[in-house]
Amino acid sequence: MPVRDAVDSLVRFPQDTGLPDAPADLPDWSTYLAMLRDLKTGRLTPQAVVESQPGGMQGAAAQPAMNAQAAMPQTADVGAARKALALRFAAGSVLALQRWWLQRMLATPAPLQEKMTLFWHGHFTSEILNKGVSPPDILAQNQLFRRYALGNVRDLTQAVARDPAMLKYLDNARSARAHPNENFARELMELFTLGIGNYTEADIRESARAFTGWTLRRGQFTEDARMHDNGTKTFLGHTGNFDGGDIVDIIFGQPAAPRWFARKLLNFYVYNDPEPQLVDATADLLRRNGFNLLPVMSTLLRSNVFFSSRAYRALVKSPVEFVIGSYQLYGVQTVSMETIGELRRMGQFLFRPPNVKGWDGGATWLNSQTLLTRENFSSALMASPAMPVGSWLTDGMPASAHDAATRLVSTVLQGDASPASVERLVGYLDGNDTSANGTFSGENFAERIRGAAYLTMAMPAYQLA
Amino acid sequence: MNRSRFLLGAVSGVTLAATADSLFGRALAQPALPGLPGDAADRVLVVLNLAGGNDGLNTVVPFSLQQYYRYRPTLAIAQGDVLRLNDEVGFNPALRSLKAMFDRGDVAVVQGAGYPRPDHSHFRSTQIWQTAAPDTFERTGWVGRYLDTAQLSKRNLFNGVAISQVLPEVMVAKDVDVPALSDVSSYGLRSDKRADARAAFSSIVRDDRVPFQSPYLATVAEIEAHAQRGSEELPKLIAGYKTDASYPATPLGRSLALAAQIVGSRLGTRVIYVQHGSFDTHASQKTTQDTLLESFSNAVSAFYADLASHGNDKRVLTMTFSEFGRRVAENASRGTDHGEASPMFLIGGGVKGGIYGAHPSLDQLDNGDVTYTTDFRSVYTTLLQRWLGRSAEGIIAGSFPTVPLLA
Repeated sequence: MPVRDAVDSLVRFPQDTGLPDAPADLPDWSTYLAMLRDLKTGRLTPQAVVESQPGGMQGAAAQPAMNAQAAMPQTADVGAARKALALRFAAGSVLALQRWWLQRMLATPAPLQEKMTLFWHGHFTSEILNKGVSPPDILAQNQLFRRYALGNVRDLTQAVARDPAMLKYLDNARSARAHPNENFARELMELFTLGIGNYTEADIRESARAFTGWTLRRGQFTEDARMHDNGTKTFLGHTGNFDGGDIVDIIFGQPAAPRWFARKLLNFYVYNDPEPQLVDATADLLRRNGFNLLPVMSTLLRSNVFFSSRAYRALVKSPVEFVIGSYQLYGVQTVSMETIGELRRMGQFLFRPPNVKGWDGGATWLNSQTLLTRENFSSALMASPAMPVGSWLTDGMPASAHDAATRLVSTVLQGDASPASVERLVGYLDGNDTSANGTFSGENFAERIRGAAYLTMAMPAYQLA
Repeated sequence: MNRSRFLLGAVSGVTLAATADSLFGRALAQPALPGLPGDAADRVLVVLNLAGGNDGLNTVVPFSLQQYYRYRPTLAIAQGDVLRLNDEVGFNPALRSLKAMFDRGDVAVVQGAGYPRPDHSHFRSTQIWQTAAPDTFERTGWVGRYLDTAQLSKRNLFNGVAISQVLPEVMVAKDVDVPALSDVSSYGLRSDKRADARAAFSSIVRDDRVPFQSPYLATVAEIEAHAQRGSEELPKLIAGYKTDASYPATPLGRSLALAAQIVGSRLGTRVIYVQHGSFDTHASQKTTQDTLLESFSNAVSAFYADLASHGNDKRVLTMTFSEFGRRVAENASRGTDHGEASPMFLIGGGVKGGIYGAHPSLDQLDNGDVTYTTDFRSVYTTLLQRWLGRSAEGIIAGSFPTVPLLA
């Protein structure tokens, strides 16, 4: 069965994809130091940095604005000039990183690996240019997620607890024996592994003690014995002189842990609000496989649940899935700069999740502004002169407007449109909405097909996966 | 006649504003509750979320309490720096422009706002404040339930407006679709070269007789249709609004500038949501919080100057909330961890300025946190009954005494 063959190739992705591990065109990272200093002293707010990015501006205005920043005179006053310089490089780097990853998602022979990397990014969240999290930190974290994409979840959690971006983002790097910082300990249990109701406030305080001294020296993870609380801790019913590694191990012994990951995976890949029995079954699979994800995903993606009617178009496409999927559908091979700004207005700004919980998905992707941005993305994509129109309808020229409409609905929506909407498309192709240029013909073929493709992408089914 | 055609047929922004007003404002006016001054249908509530958990003790500073200085060796604000409101508490010096409004009697401070058995999770506690339900899980927000029961015109797309990337839970209603938009310039369809496709677009986005089922199908179709209509109407409806006000160049400044424009254009909007943050200051709190408080204070001050210049300042009441305050004792990274109660601000010409509720004790802490002295649902009940002119019944579960903070 072809679909199952496709699943086979997905789960057996090559470790070496032949793609570059890091973007080639990043500016010199040493220039971030000035900016990070300004962020620290409050002369610059993270919002200001983000808003300085071309991605934060309106489409076509982005590139000139970026050029204007690059050309900003540096003579006026030293502070302002340095700020402008820092902004320019920060903007360049965040943008370059986002574009690199999107481009990788588009070109990879191992899409499941990138999709899992995106899953982990939304799960073990960290935010670029906040709390001193630098572009190199985020890139290293992204590579960690890719390395563990379908690997062992417990090992990944151990690695995340030692990851520089995470140590900075959730403040553990600055936690010390005298007054432990609870930020990482809380989110580790609430959002990363167990969920509310499966631990107490006392467990948070005790585990925060265990993580003291897990910090950074010259940017690398280190255990600082002077900052570490060596006393006895009582955590989730266990008592001992625990450190962070023990805490993670104890967490993975809790029945709530496999359930937490199972629910999250089902929500991301299958459907939202999965039945408790399905969550338990998936959790059981995860536990029996020692938290190794490859056999679990391999089973899940071949399962009757994955192919059930309940799972059919049961997910709202995330902005990244919507954009990359559209590029792939139409054979567009290069991610444009404008797309990054559009992704932000659709609600998904890579490396900058809305908060530590990541993107909620489902209905939260849907509101007036995000859907308008999706339509505008489709419209811009179809207006692009680089669009290879002829190649979509591979079996030669369509014989009629009806033929073209049917083929579009089949290719773009797998046929999921009502007969009335197909008729509306035919009407559009035949020029019923305009008196100019007459009926569908070789003359207006490319223009009408682009318009009809835009309309097909506006149908509700296209938002759903 | 179709409302959008009727409105779009009008010739100028000024005419549009007046038409919108007569259609959606006065025509739909609710009868005012006895004793309620003015026209409740003319009033607007702005809900301002100070997201991330704002440290209350360094916002409204209890400078008279020795304990405050003991718990906060590096973070405490010196007595001489506090902007005194009375002999006990004062504002963080970053709130200079808010202090000027307080001195004019336009700011009510509710001290120690919170709820029983507080949750220390950002997400659960935010949900509790937004749904006004500490003990149950509700699918709608308290403002959403107000919009559902306020008998507003179903054809008005702007009964409530969220100026944010994602629709916040507080605005989620059962029957009313609240648009979420972050700015007007990108709120619209780019028709490009295919104006002819637009006619087909409006019927096609509503295609709901599709050969499959999906839990999101109806939502997608409805929001797409509303978004298309709303984005055609809104820019025209608010285009007539002119202002000289100068807002800070911050996200909150831009959000409130748009809020003033919506209020001034009289679209019949009853509630507007905006947010500011993040106040989650686990480390190096001072810089972050002071920057955020200053931009909050300046943006709100500009907002009311703008409103006042159009005679709207008494029509608009702004309520702030934050999911929790922070731990009384600072941590080793010069920050504070998640705590419990914190103050709320109610701002505008309609409030009776002053300080309400007792400041939480620093002598008797709940595991290191201050205990709430006013249930936030008392404030919500007050706003529903005395500002929006609706009974809180069916909107807020339980019964809570009102706070006499409205003029």
